[in-house]
Amino acid sequence: MFTSNVHTQDIVELSVSAWFYRNKTIAGFDNPARSLYVAVRELVENSLDACEEIRILPEITVLLRNEEESSRVDLLNQGPENFELVVKDNGIGMKRDSIPLLLGKMLTGTKFSHRQSRGTFGLGGSLALLYGQVTTQKPIEIVTGQKGQPHGYSVKMRLDIENNRPVILEEDRVSKGADEHGTMITFSLQGDWLRSKRRIIDYFNQTGIIVPYASLFFETPDNEVYKYDRIIHSIPRPSVATKPHPRGIDVEMLKSMISTTRARSLKSFLTTSFQRVGDKKASEFLVFARLDPERVPDSLSMDELVRMMNSMEKFERFLPPSPNSLSPVGTEVLLAGIKRLSPEFVVFRQRPPNVYEGHPFIVETGVAYGGDLSAGAHIIRFANRIPLLYDERSDISHRVVRDLNLKNYGLRQEDPLTFIMHICSTKIPYKTVGKEYIADVDSVRREIELGFKECLRDLSERLRKRTKTQKYQKRESRLASYYRFIAEILKTATGREVQLERFHFEGGDNQ
Amino acid sequence: MSRSRTEIDSSEIIGLIDNVLNTVAETLEDGVFPEIGYYGASKKNVFYQEDAGYVSIDETPSFIDGRKVESAKTVASFVYGLSRFKEHLEQNMSMSLRDFYYMHKVKHVQDVLKIIDQNETNRLINLCERVIRHNGASVPREELGVVSSPKGTFYGDITISDMSKKRLNCTSAGEYGWFISSRPFDVKIHDINIDAAIFIEKEAMARNLIELEIPEDLRIGVGALFGQPGRNMRAWIRRLADEEIPILILVDMSPWSLRIFSTIKSNSIELANIRGLATPEAKLLGITTDDFWGKRGMLTEIEHSLESMTKSDLKCAQQNKNIPAISQDQLLSRQNEIMLKKKRKGELEAFKSFGLPLAELKGFYIKYLKTKSSDLDVKVI
Repeated sequence: MFTSNVHTQDIVELSVSAWFYRNKTIAGFDNPARSLYVAVRELVENSLDACEEIRILPEITVLLRNEEESSRVDLLNQGPENFELVVKDNGIGMKRDSIPLLLGKMLTGTKFSHRQSRGTFGLGGSLALLYGQVTTQKPIEIVTGQKGQPHGYSVKMRLDIENNRPVILEEDRVSKGADEHGTMITFSLQGDWLRSKRRIIDYFNQTGIIVPYASLFFETPDNEVYKYDRIIHSIPRPSVATKPHPRGIDVEMLKSMISTTRARSLKSFLTTSFQRVGDKKASEFLVFARLDPERVPDSLSMDELVRMMNSMEKFERFLPPSPNSLSPVGTEVLLAGIKRLSPEFVVFRQRPPNVYEGHPFIVETGVAYGGDLSAGAHIIRFANRIPLLYDERSDISHRVVRDLNLKNYGLRQEDPLTFIMHICSTKIPYKTVGKEYIADVDSVRREIELGFKECLRDLSERLRKRTKTQKYQKRESRLASYYRFIAEILKTATGREVQLERFHFEGGDNQ
Repeated sequence: MSRSRTEIDSSEIIGLIDNVLNTVAETLEDGVFPEIGYYGASKKNVFYQEDAGYVSIDETPSFIDGRKVESAKTVASFVYGLSRFKEHLEQNMSMSLRDFYYMHKVKHVQDVLKIIDQNETNRLINLCERVIRHNGASVPREELGVVSSPKGTFYGDITISDMSKKRLNCTSAGEYGWFISSRPFDVKIHDINIDAAIFIEKEAMARNLIELEIPEDLRIGVGALFGQPGRNMRAWIRRLADEEIPILILVDMSPWSLRIFSTIKSNSIELANIRGLATPEAKLLGITTDDFWGKRGMLTEIEHSLESMTKSDLKCAQQNKNIPAISQDQLLSRQNEIMLKKKRKGELEAFKSFGLPLAELKGFYIKYLKTKSSDLDVKVI
């Protein structure tokens, strides 16, 4: 029997944004230092996506200013301070009506389809704004405009956390040229610059490498300027949204797909709602799952849905997922990006598409050598063109690099080597929600390993050739110096001018 | 085969050097890499003869191929070395091995040749000796003007003129006698009034004999080797032997001293190409294993003074078995064997362990020298 005091406890309903705010650590907003970094990163990534979506070379300006003039006496014990963050891009811009939805409301956005994109849910940007408002109680300002529109909009708004909806405080039309487009977001947030400086600058450095077709400008609270000029004018082919692959589907998703399908039979449901399933595969599968191809999808019972889902997991003859939904960076762009590190040699390899748990992925690997690189092996990791900065040691590529036998390639541990790894996938196998490192998935690890090994083989071949030429040139110049010396001595000792004109130093042995 | 070298004057040497330099110059002008051939100090080129010591037979030549980087460097230092020898000979100046090394530290030379230690320049001189040849024999470096610091003294009634051009008697040239010239072959011998010459490993004993006026009493010459004798001392011994003076050698009883004696007698493999350094007539006077352990041994009384051989002494004696001039010499190999068996060694200072009054010590020295040399068919008064 229920007793009355069970009912006396309050039952609280959380809105989506309230829930996310209370659990903000899962998205990286756990301390002022990390929050500042994550906020910058999320907004820059949204801006890059906004540009790449319409294949425009991104131009992104980030200004981070300290709001209070702090006395700067006690640098080490300095706590969090309030910062103003301005992020401006030349992306697609937003329609007036979309602004509050895209930025002010959690779980709305453009990233819920089956394709590769930087973020997973488009949540990070909104959460950054939410975090800013909660820590500083200041409103958010957005100025945005789209191409072809006579004017843009300036909106000042607040987020109503309890009800997961934006509240517009002020709005204006702003005049702009017809061709101008882009978005500028200005908001305040609490952060710890001193403790996040390193990370934020690393983030810009590495972003400069993976998106060399973007112009980035970053002004720090210390009034330092980091500027990354565009070095290549081609944008990688964008990814295309695709239908889901039958592997990796769960019952809830299956249910929702059935509720929206127009197909009147299971067989046509399979061929129209999933990628890479044709008539033949659909029939084979339905036999395997012991389901009648002519059944109306709606009529499936819960047990049958579960059986269908389990069969999808077990059925081995589905074709692998299509890589069309992926957008690898491409070796040309990667080669351009790595120039920012000025290495002597670089080798990049793009591995063929592969699959893990029904998600397609492509691994791109590179090895840079010499030049301005510092001694020892370093790893730079990217996932869907986002630099991964934290937890390098837990990352699968770290383990792969650690297990490489550099000696086999004529290299030493202390040689100036930088390993670059980019993985793109519709679902990056992150180990944690913090999106910081890639989990140890067999097929992913194998691709990374093969990629690095191919690069190293190529690199060692080039190094061998270089050493050979150097040796040869060195030998030639030494020989020449000896014989010039001999001629000089002979001149003083015997008085005769010895002409070395008929002498060819290349003619000697090639030791 | 003549044991001494043939006379050669410095203008001839300069001619030989010019010859080589011009050949190199012509080769270069023809656009060809120079190649230098010589006979190395390998076992193929040197063999041991009991009555002549080490003899160089010049069978297998080696070549320095100027196409190879390291060899080109050798050719360059070779040419440079010859040019410096020529210059010194023209000015009548000598240089030491160390001087020659420092001539490679001249800035523009060092920049090219990058010589880092004296072994390299010493090897180069050795190469020059092998390449510059006269009458089928190497021209010793002394002729090229390179002399090592002279070592060794000689006391005795011989009248000579050395490089100082002064005429002097070796009994009145200072308390040790005459300091052996760096170029004994150019020393003129005017008058000889000795019946034998004794060369002693240790300077202290030689001085004792001089102080006791034994050279005068026995009409002998006394030389001090100062350890392993230098090239000049060996050449001087050869000179005396050429004058038919019996040569007697007095060294410690140790495997090292066997080597000293064997170098005097047979020269060495490394210098087999240089003539006039071996004196096969030289005889080992003492102190021998028979002196201590023989039936008629003169030193049996002081056998207790012998010391144990150290590890390195034993190792030396073992290695002596592989030195042809010791292992193929009956007397020396027997000495070596006995030392290896007894594992003890004796020094010249052992004479002092008799504890004799000085007058009696002189008598004993005279008795020892006389007895031992007559054993060797050398008669002294």
